[in-house]
Amino acid sequence: MIEFKSVTKQYPTGQLALYNVNLKLAQGEMAFLTGHSGAGKSTLLRLIAMLDTPTEGEVVIAGQSSKTIKKSKIPAFRRNIGIIFQDHHLLDDRSVFDNVALPLKIEGMRPHDIKRRVRAALDKVNLLQKEKEYPVMLSAGEKQRVGIARAVVNKPLIILADEPTGNLDPDLAHDIMQTFKQFNDFGSTVLIASHDHTLIQNMKKRIIALRKVKT
Amino acid sequence: MAVKSTTAKRQATTASVGVAGHHKEAISFSLSRLWQSPLSTWITLAAIAIALSLPASLHLLLKNLKSLTDDKREVPTISLFIKQGISEQQARDRGGLLEELSDIDKVILVPKDKALDDFRRITGFAETLETLDENPLPHVLVVTPHMNLIGDPGLDLKKLARKLENYPEVDLVQMDIEWVQRLRGILRIAERAILVISILLALTVLLVVGNTIKLNIENRKKEIEVSRMIGATSAYIRRPFLYSGLWYGLFGGIMSLVFVHFALLFLVSPVNELAQLYGSTFTISGLGVKITLYILIASSFLGLVGAWIAVGRHLRKTHY
Repeated sequence: MIEFKSVTKQYPTGQLALYNVNLKLAQGEMAFLTGHSGAGKSTLLRLIAMLDTPTEGEVVIAGQSSKTIKKSKIPAFRRNIGIIFQDHHLLDDRSVFDNVALPLKIEGMRPHDIKRRVRAALDKVNLLQKEKEYPVMLSAGEKQRVGIARAVVNKPLIILADEPTGNLDPDLAHDIMQTFKQFNDFGSTVLIASHDHTLIQNMKKRIIALRKVKT
Repeated sequence: MAVKSTTAKRQATTASVGVAGHHKEAISFSLSRLWQSPLSTWITLAAIAIALSLPASLHLLLKNLKSLTDDKREVPTISLFIKQGISEQQARDRGGLLEELSDIDKVILVPKDKALDDFRRITGFAETLETLDENPLPHVLVVTPHMNLIGDPGLDLKKLARKLENYPEVDLVQMDIEWVQRLRGILRIAERAILVISILLALTVLLVVGNTIKLNIENRKKEIEVSRMIGATSAYIRRPFLYSGLWYGLFGGIMSLVFVHFALLFLVSPVNELAQLYGSTFTISGLGVKITLYILIASSFLGLVGAWIAVGRHLRKTHY
């Protein structure tokens, strides 16, 4: 499902984020990505979502290669990937419901179907009763769960999370991880970047460590 | 491959609203955004309206000046002053002959007695005129040439004037037509000037809308970024901004029409008074249906293009 072939990523500023990375993740697998800050975790996730292109090597995601995919096909490709950010990236001027509905609206789904799907996604993260509220009214953990609901609402093949528990206390972090595990049980491939070692070790999943590139 | 099969499955279970649905969403979204910051929206609309009302009112001014010279009631004429000593009947005969010329539409004889009466009545110099032994005024033939001669400026009229001057009965030829031709020449220059001004002001509208949309984009950067990350196409991101630009243009255009209309209302009565003083029934004509539509279409188009440029710049800058 996810494959990196000798991938190097150097930013225009000269910063070398990834060097010769080889990585394979099978469909339905769940794994953690660790490493010090600056080791290139976020870059790796961006490459999977094709938000960036590798400087060298090839990234193959769900049968699509970073080398051959057309720019016009990238938006449609991205709809197969749900991304969760540490700072949740919610839109403050829209209700919880509208935030979660955004991917479906982009896809052009009918309002009736959107309602059904959004409710289902919010139900999975236990926030159904908050659908009319705005992000500012929510706690950090709730915001993160809304972010997760938005990422999974269109049933993506791949779920990527960048430090999803970074701002949360251990109990909440544990809950969030359990939520990811549920989605993995439903068949999604899940890759989570995190530096919370104790939490990761408890999950008993594959751990991919990125070492900082020597410069 | 896996992507394709699941995508297909997904589309099979949930119908899409299609492009029309996206447009509907973008329309309602952009309209609601417009009134979220009413003050800045009004300022933008006012700026557009002022920029548009200037060429619109200049156009109106020109149109009214033209109608003054086009007006059938105010047809320019050539006056032939007949030599003293020529009888009224001789003058009338000459008039009849002139009327048969192909250049001439009609000829009216103003006998000198009638001219004196008119003069007395209009000027109120009755007492002064009583002191004169005889009528100093000549008979006058008022010649109206065919309208098409006035339309194309040049030699024909001069030739006609020379021909008229050569008749033995004619003392003096006075053309009212020359000023019409000169005015038309000036109007042609004014037309060009208005075109240049219109283009400059159209550019202003473009810049105003472009800049406003640019600010809108700045305010919604996060939204654009998030939309990108969850698979929005460039068209999807662009659409609400393009509609915003369209609304700015359209509403600005409507506002400019309101401005011009109020300016007209303000002018109507003094102009009518002035026209009366000149014995004319001229009244200001407003913007016609055609020009109104034209302004609205042009302003909407300018708004759209301004937005297109602003969004295009942003999308190119942040392309990933």
